[in-house]
Amino acid sequence: MLRLLLGVVIAAAFVNAAAAEDAYVVGMTAGLTGPTASTFAPVAEAMRIYFDRVNAAGGINGRPVKLVILDDQGEPQKAGANVKQLLTWNNAILLIDSSLSSTFAPAIGEAKRANVPLLFIGSVCPKEVYPPAEAGQYCTTAFASNFDSRASLTFVKGTSSEPARIGFAAATIPVSRAEIDFAEKYATDLGMAAVDKELIPPTTADFTPFATKLVAAKPSWVYSWAAWVIQVQLFEAMRRLGWEGNFIGWAHQEAEDELKRLKDPHLYVIGANALFQEQLPVQKEIEGAAAKAASRYPANQMSEGWIGGLMIEAALEHASWPVTAAKVQDALQNLQVDMKGIRAAPMEWTQTNHFRTLQSYRIYNWDAAKGQIATTKKGLDYEIK
Amino acid sequence: MLPPPCGLAATSRKSALVNSAPLQRTLLLQLVVNMLVLASIYALIACGYVLIYRVSRVMNLAQGELMMLGAYLLLTTASVFHKNAELAIGAAVVLSTCCGILVYIFLMRKMTGESVLAAVLATIALGILLRGLMILIWSAQQQYPGQSLGLTSTAIALPGGARVSTFAAALIVINALTYASLFVFLRFGRWGLRMRAAGQNPLLAAQRGIKLHAIYALAWALSTMTGSLAGMLIALDSGLTANMAVLGLKAFPAALVGGLDSLLGTLIGAAIVAAAEILSIQYVDPLLSDVMPFLVLLAMLIVRPWGLFGTREDLDRV
Repeated sequence: MLRLLLGVVIAAAFVNAAAAEDAYVVGMTAGLTGPTASTFAPVAEAMRIYFDRVNAAGGINGRPVKLVILDDQGEPQKAGANVKQLLTWNNAILLIDSSLSSTFAPAIGEAKRANVPLLFIGSVCPKEVYPPAEAGQYCTTAFASNFDSRASLTFVKGTSSEPARIGFAAATIPVSRAEIDFAEKYATDLGMAAVDKELIPPTTADFTPFATKLVAAKPSWVYSWAAWVIQVQLFEAMRRLGWEGNFIGWAHQEAEDELKRLKDPHLYVIGANALFQEQLPVQKEIEGAAAKAASRYPANQMSEGWIGGLMIEAALEHASWPVTAAKVQDALQNLQVDMKGIRAAPMEWTQTNHFRTLQSYRIYNWDAAKGQIATTKKGLDYEIK
Repeated sequence: MLPPPCGLAATSRKSALVNSAPLQRTLLLQLVVNMLVLASIYALIACGYVLIYRVSRVMNLAQGELMMLGAYLLLTTASVFHKNAELAIGAAVVLSTCCGILVYIFLMRKMTGESVLAAVLATIALGILLRGLMILIWSAQQQYPGQSLGLTSTAIALPGGARVSTFAAALIVINALTYASLFVFLRFGRWGLRMRAAGQNPLLAAQRGIKLHAIYALAWALSTMTGSLAGMLIALDSGLTANMAVLGLKAFPAALVGGLDSLLGTLIGAAIVAAAEILSIQYVDPLLSDVMPFLVLLAMLIVRPWGLFGTREDLDRV
């Protein structure tokens, strides 16, 4: 019996290795379930659909892409184990982390040990990808620490002749808190009055207590940089308390449907990805692919995953065949890819910049007169040096 | 194109909380309303812990997931009975009650004769399974069952300038009705009496002809139903997220603070936990709000481990 079991394991290892030799193996650890699944599951779904299409069209350099997706539930230990498995069992030549920032450390550790490049897609970009970038880590995600707050607050300042009274809301996770702390300071530098800052746990049952405190501080604007659920539930709770000010939050992938649901002209979302109401050819392509694949997630939540797909496809194309992790690494740090309008500028990675060279923002809100989402502002650009 | 200016002028518009009454009084009233809403959420969820514990001495750690299941069932019934809210909510309540019975029949009944710890571990496993299944079936997206039913959560202005959303008000009312009905049922109902008897002495109750399995199934049904009601109302008020189950854990201290075998204790425990949470947000540090229920629980465990209205012997037995 033991011999038989050993035989099966060895045979499976050979089959796995043989399959890996014929394909570009890309390994992904993602928070498919767990508390942040609504953010990361659509990213993984979009990537799966993207590479199914690539493979159906003949693959890259005549070879298919084998995308192996493992669920880490947003837990660091599981992410570490996933990455180990992707490296040792699946022989991945490129890794993706699409999960909570707490999963980064184990994923980075394993990737570094194996000298395999690691991409962050749909998750927060770690500071190591900004110039001067550390070798081996890259990020495609739209949001960018500090730059997002700068753009948001610059917009807020530009909308009113009087200094705004601004309230802030963050989630009780380090990355969100750090961003809102930065925003609070930046707002003061811009001459605004920072009237309140609420730190909201993701496990909140009722947002009204936080809204009560914020409303009592009488802000004319509220800025939030947190998960969409926190942003929107806080906003709705404030509205129910009779607050009529302006709210600006990050345009997470749920934002488009939510703007349509709420129809509130004073709710603004800021982001780097074009919303699907712009009806770009690439967005129609994503809609078609999502419909064909009978996706469980709406196409308008797939921009982040699609961008990841575009970048990986370009990198693997440059890495040619036979492929190694080192060749992929070389390709990644000399890459420029047209975003087809999803982002205002091409994504460019250099030896020292693994984030992008230009971060361009758009701001949307609901146009009550036209009964549709309006592009309030475009071209809030920041060079990343 | 920007909508009409909404800068500082916005605050000078009529904002109920800020301008309609002396600020302090309105704020205090609002805090009381917030406490009532949060206490109702916790009480409605925690009621399920108590019902099962009273009858079978099992702590159901899947209560949060069963609550979330109720909300997802409403999402499904809302898409089937489009725009017919009464029918959709009624169907979801019936379905979740049936789920409670099924959980007992297919899982907890098999634990008969096993240690209480084994039964508790089985509920943990059930919770993990349900969480995974719900994401597989309904996806991880934030969803709004109220949208399909044409229901929106609007604000109700209360005397004194405080406000409450329609579904939060419904939560308070339904919580009160649930507890009143349970009180009447357990005190005067034939099956309620049997439930109490089974809880006090299962052996004697069985010898007197009480069908223990039927009683336990009833406890699971009622527990799932009350949790589901909470899940449905939260989903109607602010949407349904895949991590809603965590609320089950946050409601757990309410049951323990009140005493795990006392429904009245649970009501009071929920009020204490909610008050501590809201006052910490308002006057201490919002960061504390997440841990406040557990700080209250710790304090209670140190001072009176069996809870405010719990029975000391029962705790010793656990």
